[in-house]
Amino acid sequence: MSVPRRVLVPAAAAAAALATLASLAVLADASPLEALRALALGSLGSRAAIGETLLRSTGIVLTAAGACLALRAGVLNIGLEGQFLAGAAAAAAVGPALAGMPLVARAAILLAAALAGALWVLPAAVLAAKRNVPEVLSTILLNLIAATAAGGLVRGALRDPAGDYPQSRALPDAVRLEPLFSGGRATAAVLVALLAVAVLAVLIAATPLGLKLRAVGLAPAAARAIGLADGRLKVLAFAGSGALAGLAGGLEVLGVTGRLYDPFAAGVGYTGLAAALLGQAQPVASAFAGLFFAALGAGSSAMQRDTGVPAALAALVPGVLVLAVLAARARAGRSGS
Amino acid sequence: MSGFLAITVLLAAPLLLAAAGELLLERAGSIQIGVEGTMLLGAFAAFAASQRGAGPHGALAAAVLTGVLAGGAFALFAVAGRADPVLVGTAWNLVGYGATAFGYRLLAGATGSVLEIATLTPVLLGMPAAVLFAFLAPILLELFLARTRPGLAVTAAGENPLALDALGGSVVRVRSAASLAAGALAGAGGAVLVLTVSPTFVEGVTAGRGFLALALVVFARWKPLRLIPGALLIGGATALAYRLQAGGSTAIPYAVFLALPGILALAALAVARGRGGAPKALGTPAP
Repeated sequence: MSVPRRVLVPAAAAAAALATLASLAVLADASPLEALRALALGSLGSRAAIGETLLRSTGIVLTAAGACLALRAGVLNIGLEGQFLAGAAAAAAVGPALAGMPLVARAAILLAAALAGALWVLPAAVLAAKRNVPEVLSTILLNLIAATAAGGLVRGALRDPAGDYPQSRALPDAVRLEPLFSGGRATAAVLVALLAVAVLAVLIAATPLGLKLRAVGLAPAAARAIGLADGRLKVLAFAGSGALAGLAGGLEVLGVTGRLYDPFAAGVGYTGLAAALLGQAQPVASAFAGLFFAALGAGSSAMQRDTGVPAALAALVPGVLVLAVLAARARAGRSGS
Repeated sequence: MSGFLAITVLLAAPLLLAAAGELLLERAGSIQIGVEGTMLLGAFAAFAASQRGAGPHGALAAAVLTGVLAGGAFALFAVAGRADPVLVGTAWNLVGYGATAFGYRLLAGATGSVLEIATLTPVLLGMPAAVLFAFLAPILLELFLARTRPGLAVTAAGENPLALDALGGSVVRVRSAASLAAGALAGAGGAVLVLTVSPTFVEGVTAGRGFLALALVVFARWKPLRLIPGALLIGGATALAYRLQAGGSTAIPYAVFLALPGILALAALAVARGRGGAPKALGTPAP
């Protein structure tokens, strides 16, 4: 049986999502329809709900964009979670010291965050180039190092002496982002994320640099043969990917939390990577996948409250969806379409 | 055993079990970077079985069974299904984290109260049998790979799958069997963690041990016996981080010593990787 890939893959994803949601609801002794209704209302049913979805989408959409940039150049960046944390830590480190003009302070915080994210890629890029260490392994360890180091920072160097919990000092209120509309918590951070997606989509699809990156990703040997510096282009995409994840971490501190605490990231980078895999490394499609995961996250809190189905379902569904899509893609690939 | 050494050994055991399984799977030519997810599933299965009245050994058995199922799922997607194993593993970590967090909330309710479970009892040198087995596992694996026919088939599947295929062997079958065993060992690793040093389940209780196990395999350059010193090193670093945290020393920045196990693993990768030793067909689909 030969089913075209463009039909099979989205159909498998939709079926897997619905089947997972329904069976998890049944497992929790709830009605699947009521759980779905609570999910929908909790993510889109009110201004507060929409604000919550947009708030959660910032980190996922930006890390998904980072994943796309690296994937298109042939690098699987599993380190987005660590790069996100590096950005958040940088924002929490420089933020409290910046008073004065809020716009300048915000720009400085986000610049520091993006830079930290890009720098957190460096060990993996160097180890890949000099020691032949696969990026997959080094970035996974860099995630672990970032998570444990962030835990250490909020207990040590960055600790707020006035706080009861291990957390960093808060950003000045004047620097933190205001809500975008009344009744919801979303800030302009989500606009930064969507802008970044648009810029990235154009960069990849319509610029000479994008063409070079895609060439390196699709056929590194051929790219090298026509004189492209494939190693340098890969590192550039990898660092850009880290910068986007770092920016996401900085925006999380600037727009949502105002400080760093432990644990902080809770899988944002992994969810973003799942969104990029689901969106087949296309920035716009991946952003939609990221918005969907964010809606799931926002709606799942309301669902837990109303129907008793644990909100952790929002962490499980992205993984199941990626597995379904991988299986469908492998199957479509074998059936020769 | 003295306190520090005992904690080091107890912390090394889950790493050894998971890394031994991963090493077997990688020697067969596949790679499961979702070990962390399977360890979490094993830890949760042990916790859930304990909550339902099973003793520590019943809990361990539940974890092994769950690990076998996890290995079966991986084989289905990444071995028989020929999906990219690295992407399957990435998704598997999300599945393991999400499924166990979901299950934990179902069992523990929304309160998040800590539910302690019964731990494994010591049998020798103050260590439970499962911990002693963890140190035996690399030795058994070495003998299996070097001295038995199925062990040779594993090496063939990882080094030259086309030849194994041409000789009438089934690469898919060999790698799938390795995946089941790797799942069982990772599940046991997760269980040993919650049945010894941290006798409860919390979300993400494995705290990156699956990632450390992956690095250990490279550090051991795919030779089972070399897993033991590596696991003791990482276990010791983790024990040191615990001790310094409890002692509140400020001589070393907190961030550095809490991150020490990961930093050591990354350094070990850098040292070992350049020297090679990886199975030639690692990560390639079965013919």
